[in-house]
Amino acid sequence: MSHAFARARRNEMLLAYALLLPSLVFLAIFTYWPILRSVWFSLHDVLLGDPDIYWLGAENYLRLLEDRLFWKVLGNTAFYTLTTIPLSIAAALLLAVALDSKLRGMAIYRSAFFYPVMIPSVAAGMLWVFLYAPGYGPINEALTSLGLPRLDWLYDSKWALPAIVIMSIWKYSGYFMLILLAALKLVPSDLYEAARLDGVSARHRLLHITIPLISPTLYFVIIIGTLHSYQIFDYVYVMTQGGPADSTNVLTYYIYQNGFQYQDIGYASALANALLVFVLGLIGLVAVTLGRKVHYLGER
Amino acid sequence: MSDVTQAKLSTSRRRAHWQRHLRANWLHLIMAPLALLWLSPLVWILVTSLKTNVEVFDQAAGFWPQSLNFSNYPSTLSVAPFGTYLVNSVIVTSSILTGQMITITLAAYAFARLTFPGKNLLFTLFLLQVMFPIYAIFLTNFITLREMGLVNTILAMIVPFIASGYGTFMLRQSFRQVPSELSDAARLDGCNHLEILWHVFLPLVKPTLIAFGIISVVTHWNDYMWPLLVTNSEGIRTLPIGLGLLAKADSGADWPRLMAGTTIVVSPLLLLFVIFQRRFIDSFMHTGVK
Repeated sequence: MSHAFARARRNEMLLAYALLLPSLVFLAIFTYWPILRSVWFSLHDVLLGDPDIYWLGAENYLRLLEDRLFWKVLGNTAFYTLTTIPLSIAAALLLAVALDSKLRGMAIYRSAFFYPVMIPSVAAGMLWVFLYAPGYGPINEALTSLGLPRLDWLYDSKWALPAIVIMSIWKYSGYFMLILLAALKLVPSDLYEAARLDGVSARHRLLHITIPLISPTLYFVIIIGTLHSYQIFDYVYVMTQGGPADSTNVLTYYIYQNGFQYQDIGYASALANALLVFVLGLIGLVAVTLGRKVHYLGER
Repeated sequence: MSDVTQAKLSTSRRRAHWQRHLRANWLHLIMAPLALLWLSPLVWILVTSLKTNVEVFDQAAGFWPQSLNFSNYPSTLSVAPFGTYLVNSVIVTSSILTGQMITITLAAYAFARLTFPGKNLLFTLFLLQVMFPIYAIFLTNFITLREMGLVNTILAMIVPFIASGYGTFMLRQSFRQVPSELSDAARLDGCNHLEILWHVFLPLVKPTLIAFGIISVVTHWNDYMWPLLVTNSEGIRTLPIGLGLLAKADSGADWPRLMAGTTIVVSPLLLLFVIFQRRFIDSFMHTGVK
């Protein structure tokens, strides 16, 4: 009897590994092997297409620490992430709260804010190059008609990165709004009712009831947003090529430049590893600082 | 209840009703302009694609085109083979979807329903893939594909995305919600694991499969960076790459034609979105909750 049981368990184990095998093969080749390999490359002098590689030890990393442009690029990346994510999540939260109040025409509003998610990044980037055009672009026309000064937007090293931030808010808020809307629907409405009868203001209801109750989702949205924020590569590639004067050069674009334009795989790999550490560090930070404050409604 | 209190109740109810009305309308005053603002880029694409090039640069020309000029569409189609791009986009996106459906279904079943040593470790490995930005590994993946001789082939755009940690996770959550009585019953009827998976589990998690499918299609249909890196010939490029090339060639000289191209590229997904709005919204909505 126990013999048969052991055999059944062994069969189950073999079946499980067989079911995982297709995924594991692809994960191994295209996710884990490249990471190990890029650590290996980063310790060498490797040129794209050149079979000869030379051991450098930590030299690529030391170079990275002294590379002025790397720090600038890191600063730009941090600026982009730390403005785009809070701003688009704040916008998304306000939109979600407004739409959750059983507003008429809610389906239309929802689609109006969500559709940019469906637009390919390259199309969005190109469209906004047009919208931002200094001479004839609609945004400057609108500024003029409001009596505000015209800006050079993507041609101005001060405004180019904020311009991409504004576009990103347009592109992603709708997605975050939708996820938050789903969470708001799960908040029991008698809680609001009770608070309103007690004379709690709308602002306090938002801060002290809504936000704590949907905090797990907010936390999730912050992580999704962080992962999405690397897509800025597409916008930089299409809209500014990192310029003017590297004011929109970000880490993902800088990796591309070093690897594909300068063919310096060793240094580009060191940068890619820095990105990986940066991402995992940021997610870890979010998990430690916000993860603890998260409330789970009705959970233990 | 006396008449007086009832009358009071009804006036207060009427007032509450009126207040609710006011609140809703007050919100419209903010939401409607905002929604228009959000929609305006889309309107600009369409309107500009119907203008002449002279009108775009003429500041006195106003917002609407002087006459509807549809010639930009045939002109775009003549400079770039959008038909080929479309076919390639369909092949790439549907192949990725098919591959993912197979790998995630099998893996999710193992994680949800089977016990085996190393389960937690393996599951963590799957989840880590969600966290790893593709930008940290695209360079090495490019080199790997070149060694395999796959650069500049359709396969190069497909194979890196066949395994999906995210899809496996989503589906595992759904599989776990299937009552075990169902699979026990099937088991007593003599079904093996694969039959149970096919006949019992898959029909029950259809909504999750559809949700994941929509997200996957939107992601890979719109993908720009990876197809850009691994293709360099006209015959295998996808729609976004084609549009990017058109933009580069034009470099802002012919906006109406470029916007006609943009309309062609964005419309397949936007049309599907308009038709299957509920499904799309539900899919993206529940990525956060499930």
